[in-house]
Amino acid sequence: MLTSAPRTKRESHHSQIMSELLKVERITKRFRDRTVLKDVSFTVHTGEVLGLIGPNGAGKTTLFECLAGLMPANAETVKYREQVLAPLKRKEALFYLPDAIVPWAEQTVAWVLRFFEKLYGASASEFAGPLRLPELMKSPMASLSKGERKRTLLALGLMTPHPLLLLDEPFDGLDLRQTRDVMDLLKQHAAKGRTLMLSIHQLVDAGRVCDRLVLLSDGDVVGEGTIPELQARAGLSDGGVEEIFLALT
Amino acid sequence: MPYQHKPQFLLLLTKEWRELLASRSFWLLLLMIGPLVGHAFITAAGLYAEASGIGGGPAALSQGLTPLDGIVSPTFGAYDLAATFLFPFVAIRVIAAEKQSGGIKILLQLPGSLTTKISAKALVLLVAWLVTVIPGLLALVLWKSYGGHLHAPETANVLFGHLLRTMLSAGIAVAAAALLENASSAAIVTLGFTIGTWALEYVAAFRGGFLQQLASYTPASALRYFEQGLLRLNTTVAMLAIILAGFALAGFWLHTGRTWRFRLISTAVTMLLLTTIVYGANGLSASWDVSENRRNSFSAADEAALKQINQPLNITVVLAPEDPRLADFDRDILRKLRRTLPQLRVQYAASSVSGLFEKPEDHYGEIWYEMNGQKIMERSAIEQVVLETIYQLAGVKAPEKSAEAAFPGFPLVVRPRAAGWFFYAAWPFMILIGWWLVRR
Repeated sequence: MLTSAPRTKRESHHSQIMSELLKVERITKRFRDRTVLKDVSFTVHTGEVLGLIGPNGAGKTTLFECLAGLMPANAETVKYREQVLAPLKRKEALFYLPDAIVPWAEQTVAWVLRFFEKLYGASASEFAGPLRLPELMKSPMASLSKGERKRTLLALGLMTPHPLLLLDEPFDGLDLRQTRDVMDLLKQHAAKGRTLMLSIHQLVDAGRVCDRLVLLSDGDVVGEGTIPELQARAGLSDGGVEEIFLALT
Repeated sequence: MPYQHKPQFLLLLTKEWRELLASRSFWLLLLMIGPLVGHAFITAAGLYAEASGIGGGPAALSQGLTPLDGIVSPTFGAYDLAATFLFPFVAIRVIAAEKQSGGIKILLQLPGSLTTKISAKALVLLVAWLVTVIPGLLALVLWKSYGGHLHAPETANVLFGHLLRTMLSAGIAVAAAALLENASSAAIVTLGFTIGTWALEYVAAFRGGFLQQLASYTPASALRYFEQGLLRLNTTVAMLAIILAGFALAGFWLHTGRTWRFRLISTAVTMLLLTTIVYGANGLSASWDVSENRRNSFSAADEAALKQINQPLNITVVLAPEDPRLADFDRDILRKLRRTLPQLRVQYAASSVSGLFEKPEDHYGEIWYEMNGQKIMERSAIEQVVLETIYQLAGVKAPEKSAEAAFPGFPLVVRPRAAGWFFYAAWPFMILIGWWLVRR
């Protein structure tokens, strides 16, 4: 459920960020006989936190991988600042942080962070505190718990310089306090001008952190917009993301 | 404006090196290679000493005692074993670890092209082989310290042959790892390839003809040329082409964002190119005899006389592929002739596979020489007889008997002191310490 105060904040922030960064048109992805994405279209605006929400199996990860050029789509047009962006060029405009991966499992957290620092000329110290990384520095990636790994991977994603960052299930594995901390961190990051797109299956989390939402159900976009816009579309006078999602699907 | 990538090859190389050091398969390879090389070296040195007359026994003719055959090739034979059964697992891990952990999705998005990333992996595998070769080099150092003789060009040639052979295994392993879902499937395919080449050699030994030509490019056959002190351009080009094709295929299949259509077409084009290069390499006759005893060359006087011959020479050999006379003729005569006469054409004409069922009228055992429309038949495969026949056909005066100094041979009666201690104890201990330090 959303409270009125954060919504007002989001709306005022949203009003400043309407320029179109990425336009996704008619992405279709089929696995043999099964169509996982059906003509998915939506727009990502500069500086916003856009939530891609839907239940497990809705096609969120597939959509992210197609957008990142890591999975070939059967049909798609992706425009970056109104220019068509070929799949192999996507890594120049966006960085996608997958969920449930253990990259360089034998390496320590400190080394992995330093590797990204050198690679992108960034600094991990800005995120190390909020993500509580100092105590993990000497641990190999393979030895981390799900939440610890998620925090480390988030730091990697936030260090990348790409205008658009796609985060797959950024709160998965985090406890309540960590989830709130990460939400704050992401909002601060977006406030500096970075555009974020988050894939979230916990609808309440999505309502708390996102400026706008794309609702995905069974490979179809069933709604796109701010919470009030989606409420209007669903014919609801009030209610949170859960009610909207249930009404639209 | 999208983010502009800065290629960071050195950084990628560091990452690959750290990943290699973290790999248990690499440390296992290092742990095992010491005793393997040690056993090969100690056995070779012992046999060499026996042949040289240790313990008052009869010595072999000293001309037959070459360190290339007696020490270098057998000692480095351990690397053939490693290239077949151990190194492919290290190469597979370089690709499969990132595929299985999902790290590939990050790697593909890092700055730099996929070619750069695959090159970093290939370079690290090359460095891995250089580290692996340390026990072999130490064996040679020990041999020198015993007063043993080594001829640098032929030793370097054997090392180069093993480098190509190992990287060829690595190329096939990385292609299999990129193409298949998991590491175990890749290992099966890589070992299957090796067993396939053994089967090809076995069948080719009976069938001859095209199969025999094809079998000369299998890793084991190709390595034999290097072990004989022969550096052949065609073998080197073919092996390099296979290595590059393996890594190129890995690149095509590793990028998950490529369509099946792209991958299949790229694979087909690569295989077509590879076939063309390997087939074309057949026509490259350049080779260098780097052996100290010039075992792959005629005497300088005969080579000079043969170089005067400009006409094509056709040789028809009516011997079955598994007939030992054909093997001798191939090794002692044809290998040298191919290096000297660019217009040599050899036809293997036995009408049966085994030669057992040839009738007398089938001319079994005959060797026909044809030049300028003239034909001469000989049954002898002795070098002097063959050369005289060719001179007679070409109308070239046979050179005077050469006054070149005969190869003296290098007998050495010595026991491999300290070798067992080093290879069976010190080396494994150092590797375990190294592994422990890295794990820390």
